[in-house]
Parts: sequence; structure tokens; C-alpha cells
Amino acid sequence: MKIQRIPKPLPFDPESGQNIILDSIADGVFTVDQDWRITSFNRAAQEITRVSREEAVGQMCKDVLKADICEKNCCLRMTMKTGKPIINKKVNIIDADGRKLPISISTALLRDGKGKLLGAVETFRDISVEEDLRKTIQAKYSFEDIISKNHQMLRLFDILPDIASSSSTVLIEGESGTGKELVARAIHNLSPRKRHPFVAVNCSALPDALLESELFGYKAGAFTDAKKDKPGRFRAAENGTLFLDEIGEITPAMQVKLLRVLQEKTYEPLGATRSVEHNVRIIAATNKNLEDLVRQNRFREDLFYRINVFKIHLPPLRERMEDIPLLIGHFIGRFNILQKKNIEGVSDEAMALLMAHRYPGNIRELANLIERAFILCKEGRIEKKHLPDFLFAANASPDGKIAASFRDLEADYLQNALRRNNGNLPQTARQLGIHRSTLYRKLKALKLSPND
Amino acid sequence: MKLALSVFKNCISTVFDSSDQLLILETEDANGTKRTTVRIDATDPAGHAARLRDQGVAVLICGAISRPMQMAIASLGIAVYPFIRGTVEEVLAAYQSNRLGQAVFSLPGCHGRGNGGNSRGRGMRCRWRQTGGHER
Ligand SMILES: Nc1ncnc2c1ncn2[C@@H]1O[C@H](COP(=O)(O)OP(=O)(O)O)[C@@H](O)[C@H]1O
Ligand SMILES: [Mg+2]
Repeated sequence: MKIQRIPKPLPFDPESGQNIILDSIADGVFTVDQDWRITSFNRAAQEITRVSREEAVGQMCKDVLKADICEKNCCLRMTMKTGKPIINKKVNIIDADGRKLPISISTALLRDGKGKLLGAVETFRDISVEEDLRKTIQAKYSFEDIISKNHQMLRLFDILPDIASSSSTVLIEGESGTGKELVARAIHNLSPRKRHPFVAVNCSALPDALLESELFGYKAGAFTDAKKDKPGRFRAAENGTLFLDEIGEITPAMQVKLLRVLQEKTYEPLGATRSVEHNVRIIAATNKNLEDLVRQNRFREDLFYRINVFKIHLPPLRERMEDIPLLIGHFIGRFNILQKKNIEGVSDEAMALLMAHRYPGNIRELANLIERAFILCKEGRIEKKHLPDFLFAANASPDGKIAASFRDLEADYLQNALRRNNGNLPQTARQLGIHRSTLYRKLKALKLSPND
Repeated sequence: MKLALSVFKNCISTVFDSSDQLLILETEDANGTKRTTVRIDATDPAGHAARLRDQGVAVLICGAISRPMQMAIASLGIAVYPFIRGTVEEVLAAYQSNRLGQAVFSLPGCHGRGNGGNSRGRGMRCRWRQTGGHER
């Protein structure tokens, strides 16, 4: 009689041993073979997808995960094809209860000890809490695409709907690039006129005669080349909003005409015998201080009062530095979408440089800096090396003056950095990306002390 | 009557919310059926639902569907068979012979209507219900 060999029990079941490890991980983890069939499925994966391990193992991963990208942009397929891992890609899944969840997924190839391809592994995290938070923060600090947490700007967000619902003329003052046109568009979009056109005209770009025909149009025969009637911008903006940019630049003659248009709500196309009624809301903008221009007799007082029913002042970016990180995040998000990239943010050093700059071109300049960095930065974070050289030097002089020498530049630069870090030397060195001893040496050579 | 299947290639599309193709079957007479494919370009529940209504769809068979989406569609009186998987032909045959309730046609984790067999009670069973008119 043969003795039946009973297999000796192993100290642990290799399979359940693996499960214990996988189950202890907070992220959802599953593995697939080369046919996309699930070979293991941890506890967190069950909780996120609401699919049990028994039901998941052996199934196609797309049927289990139920993500919006599974059919057309499968991440595992991409990883198997390129061999490159995917890190923290945001996708939406629908769990077995019909709940839609945002998750962040990462993938990598799975090879055996000899390097033979076994399949792939995907880890994922429920990010609904983070997403909600991000959206709340965004909603709080943004209004119709205008991003800010500056107190002046938040006050503006509060009154913008009321300004929009009236049909009064609005004057927006602010340096170039502070968002005047953005605010004008927001007012239009919030107003009862939103279904009608928003038309922008830059008043400084055209000489008087052209500006007049541009605004009011002309009749055939009004001048030699006028073969046909041409409607003007007022006509184009009928029932909508006309944005008159750089209003401070118009000539006295034009000021008189505009005053009449605003007072009488009519205008005369060139060569016309009758005036035309209009229903156009005017939003004017200027990068000058119109009151100053009035005082200097360069702008008519009566026109000023006509326009200045509501005045909105947009502070320059250097007066709302707290917005810089927020705006950087906003622009990175926007360029990521536009350029199908996945830039994660800016390094501390790069942020320090961006925070130290004076931004004469305001938000437009910041947007351009980020756009430029996107050209140089392929992945990961925007680093110092992706920023233009002038930031390294120019930000050194706090009053915007050109510094006398390189020595002054460097001294200013270091002093600014120290001030930002409250005189903390190690922190300053880290932010500048130089060694602590280098910083000591430089300070000594420049005869500076941390508390200057 | 018009029957719509949310499809990708020759299968039921896994996620209805992000799918963009409908196969519409219209029974013309005793044995003639007209098939047309239409695109859905909406991404929001109301848009999807309106598209189905515009097509005159009475029954929808689809893959995973979010609750707001299912509710929007059911509110227009369209019967929804959700969390279905399989090839178009298999699913159609099953629908016609009343076998869509079989486990093979359910996405993993989503079968279990009337299936009390799972003793562990971990709440992994599917809690969906077919919504709309055609309860079977
Ligand atoms: N607060 C803001 N949030 C987001 N983007 C802004 C903000 N302010 C300005 N921008 C962006 O900066 C650029 C310049 O704004 P713009 O309205 O043209 O300025 P201005 O008319 O004052 O010169 C635009 O691309 C605009 O979208
Ligand atoms: Mg402008």
C-alpha cells in the first residue's frame, strides 16, 4: 500500500501573504496580466470601486474600474506600450453604486526576477475630498475667471453682479495687464446683455478720423473710398456692451462727440443725414488717472462725470503679491489643458524668484513668464532654469530703478531674500538655492548683516 | 418603439457618462428592424437625457451610469437597463429573450438584484435598480 504524501503546510500561504501586504496599503492597488485581466485586487481597491475581490479577479480591468478613460485612453495600455509609468493622472470612475468619484491613478510595468514582462500594476486614490476642497477654494477666490484673494479684489467680486445688472457706464482704471478687459467681459457676462455682443475698441490705436468711422460707421459716398455703407462698432454692439479701452487717449474733438453720444444715446455715421439711436452699454478703461487728466485740462470734466458713474480700480500685481501663487497655479492649470501637459507646479526657488519680481506688466507679464517656462519645462515642476535671466537681476531693486553695479544688484537681491525670510539665514540660502556657507561669505563680502 | 444601446465598437460602452455613441434600433414591422448610429456630444446629464428624448428612445441599455445621469434619463420616462456589459449581439439577444438579468451581462460588482447569496454582507452588492417603466 502506498503511503499518501500529505503536503507539508507552508509557514504562510504565499497568496494570502501577498494580500496582507497589499491590503495594508491605503491606496487601491490591482495588477493585470497581459490580457488586462485582473490578477490581484486589494482591500482599498474594493472600497473605492465597491467591487469585491472575488468579483474583480479574472475580469477585464475596465469593467471593474469603470473609468471614463478606459476605452479610449487606457493608462495601462499606454504604460505597456511605452514602458513609461504614468503618475497621478486624474480620472473619474463610477463605482458599483453609481457614484461618480474623481481618483488619481498611477501605473507601472510588472516584471519577474528575470525581467520578463508579467503585466502591469495600477494604484489609485480617491481624491474627492481634495477635489471638493480645491473647487471650494477656487470658487472662493475666483469670479468669472478672475482669480484673486486680495481684499480689494474680493470686495469687487461682491459688487460686480450689482454693477452688471445696472446699465450705467463703468470706468475701469488700472495699469496695463491688471485685468481691465477681463473685468469688462465679466460685467458683460453677468449682465442681462450677455446674449448680445461684447465689442472691444482700443481708442489709442487709431487716429481721430479713423476712430470716428470705426465707432460710428459711414454712409456710401461719405468720402472717396466709401463705396458702400459700413456699420460701425456701435452698431455691432447694439443691445450689448462696447468696451472703450484707453479712453484717456482720445482727442478733445473726439471727447465732444463721445459726450453727445452718451448724453443723447444717438450717434451719426459719417456722411449720414440723420442720427441713429443706440442701446449700447459703455465700459471705458484707462491706464491713466483720469482725474489727473481732468486737472491738467486734457480730459473734459463733463465727459469724465458721464463715464465715471461706477469706478473700478484694479490694483497692480505688486500690491497684491498674495495672488502670485494663486495666479501661477491658475495659469499652470490653463496651459496644462491647452498644451496637454502635466506640469505639477513651481519649485520653491523658482517661486521665490517669481515672488520677488516687480511685474511692471502685471498679470499679463506673469502669464507670459509661465507660458515661456512651459516651452522649456517638459515635465515635473518649473525650476529656476526655466525662468528668464532678467528675473535674477531685475528683481533685486525694490524701487524699480536700474541698480548702479552688479555689486549693488547682488546686495539688493540678498537683502530682499533675507527680508522675505525674516533674516533666517539657512532658510534664505535654501530658497536661493545656494549653500549656507556661500551665503555667509557673500554677506560678509558685501558687508551686510541678516538684520539690515 | 425605439431601443437605444450605448456602444463602443461592437460592445456596450463601459461607462455611459463618458460614451458618445448610441446604436438605435427601431422596430418597423413584424421582422424588419432599422439600425442607426448617432453621436451624443453632451457631457452633462441633462444634455444626454435630452438627446435620448430627441431621438424618441423608450428603452436604454448601457454600461456603468452615474446616479444623476440615470435619474435625469428616467425622469423623461425612459426605461434604463444600467451596468450591462457584453457584445451588442449577445446583449440584444438576451434583451429579447428576457435574459439581461443574468450575471454574465452585469458589470463586476453590479449584479445581485435578488441575489441574497453573498453571505459576507460587505455592502459590495449592487444597489442599483432598473428604473423607468419596464420592470420585469
Ligand atoms: N485676476 C486675474 N485672474 C486671472 N487672469 C487674469 C487676471 N487679471 C488678468 N488676467 C489675465 O491677464 C491678461 C491681461 O489681462 P487684460 O484684461 O487684458 O488686462 P488689461 O486690459 O488691464 O491690460 C489676460 O490674459 C487675462 O486673462
Ligand atoms: Mg487691455
